[in-house]
Amino acid sequence: MLSKHVTKDLSAYCHGELPPDKARELAEHLIGCSHCRMEFEEIKLGIKLAEQLPQFQAPDSIWPELERLWETRASASEDAFKPKSQSQRPGRFLAIAAVILLALGIGSFLWLRNLSAPSWEVARLDGSPRIGSALINGKGRLAVGQWLETDGSSRAQIDVGSIGQVQVDPNTRIRLLQTQPTEHRLELARGRMSAKIWAPPRLFFVDTPSAVAADLGCAYTLEVNDEGGSLLQVTAGWVALELRDRESMVPAGAACQTRPGIGPGTPYFEDASENFRASLVKFDFENGNTGVPLKTILSEARPRDSLTLWHLLSRVTDADRGLVYDRLARLAPPPAGVTRDGVLQLDRNMLELWKTELENLWTNTDGSFGKK
Amino acid sequence: MERRAAMAEPMVSRDVIRACQQGDRDAFRLLFDAYKDRVFSIAVYTFAGDEAMASDVTQQTFLKLMNSIGQFRGDSEFTTWLYRMVVNTCIDEQRRSRRFLPWGESEPMNKAAEKRPQEKQFARIEIAESVRAAINELKPKFRLPILLKYVEGLSYEEIASVMSCSKGTVASRLNRGHKELARRLAHLRDQVVLGD
Repeated sequence: MLSKHVTKDLSAYCHGELPPDKARELAEHLIGCSHCRMEFEEIKLGIKLAEQLPQFQAPDSIWPELERLWETRASASEDAFKPKSQSQRPGRFLAIAAVILLALGIGSFLWLRNLSAPSWEVARLDGSPRIGSALINGKGRLAVGQWLETDGSSRAQIDVGSIGQVQVDPNTRIRLLQTQPTEHRLELARGRMSAKIWAPPRLFFVDTPSAVAADLGCAYTLEVNDEGGSLLQVTAGWVALELRDRESMVPAGAACQTRPGIGPGTPYFEDASENFRASLVKFDFENGNTGVPLKTILSEARPRDSLTLWHLLSRVTDADRGLVYDRLARLAPPPAGVTRDGVLQLDRNMLELWKTELENLWTNTDGSFGKK
Repeated sequence: MERRAAMAEPMVSRDVIRACQQGDRDAFRLLFDAYKDRVFSIAVYTFAGDEAMASDVTQQTFLKLMNSIGQFRGDSEFTTWLYRMVVNTCIDEQRRSRRFLPWGESEPMNKAAEKRPQEKQFARIEIAESVRAAINELKPKFRLPILLKYVEGLSYEEIASVMSCSKGTVASRLNRGHKELARRLAHLRDQVVLGD
């Protein structure tokens, strides 16, 4: 990994202008360097803004004036160009030839562009995975817009540019939506995939029917059922599940479910009690936003389950928020500057401050608190 | 009067260029049609939205092209050669007229587009207007590589060739330009990032 900051190369990285080795080193540096990551976010915004620049259409009035000057020039200086009368016939022939050549040129360009369209390498692991209707024998390329499908006995592996790998399990349908230096995006329509990403946060996204998984530097599995609901299980790093203004932050060891029309539920650690997890499903997806499931969630919560409780602060009713605060404060007291009143009013800064403190607890496997 | 910048390279074959060199007017028309919008766009941005000035510069550029296309030997890409001519014409015209107006002082552009009813299009137009205004406030040395990258779709190497500088300089100037845009238009972050 590069030890020096990489800010001067960020635009070239985003535009794919760096050699692959250097791009990889830069990506690894970004994962570990918050200073460069902040700069990276600025550069990405600058690029997205610059991409909004329109191209203008030249007014039609320019050509007649040019043509008039052409005529004047042609008649004034026979040395510069052949007189029109002499070159009319070959000129017409040349013009026709030029039109044909231009058409061929455009055709070739479109063909070549299609050939060189952004794509990812796919390797067959088992069975007969397909890209579109074509079977993959050994290796294939998944272009933007194309579907990769596996049947009950097939598996495949996708190289996500130079930033990671995705393993596609049986009975899965997945599509490449976009691959650009500033954003790589897949759509998982059904089935299961496992991703290992070593890129900076928020470069790799997976759309599902009920939420978007945004990679924050991690490894995870994501499964979509036939109804469009999904289950995310994170094994390293962090993943954010998002739908409109609803966001669930899921660290390693935790999971989160989603449902169409609702979006991401509340994240939970997979080693939480069965009662806790069952009550959370009721709370999130079965009109369980009432006393009983919440009571069970609060009573069964361990310090590590503050992950769930912190998310619940902004999802419970105003009347229940005090209950959640009190339980969370007992399990993991808020840091200085975070008050009960502020949290009950969902003060964004206070919630973030508390979350930063709690992250230490969520990412420590021994469940201890305050060891920062 | 506008559309989103197309990033693809227009295709004009060597035969068309050769026909132009032999004085074929129809071939020259093909060349003109292929590049007029790109040349005009660079001029519009350089002259702060002054479309009349941009028309003049576009015409001058094609006149120069008409006169000097015989000197094009194919040692470099035609586009690089053409854009160098556009940039030089813009610089000459700036020196001559000393006209370098901020956006607010020029004719309002994009009247047709502003009338489009769809809310999303209107939001996009508003963003584009803000970006154009911010681009205009950049120093020319940061503005030009951004225009060549995003309006013309050139690679770093091509931009370096047009600007007669190194690829490293292009990368550095684009970096500064991007950061400056992000700083000036930070309030558009949510619209631009979430509006994809």
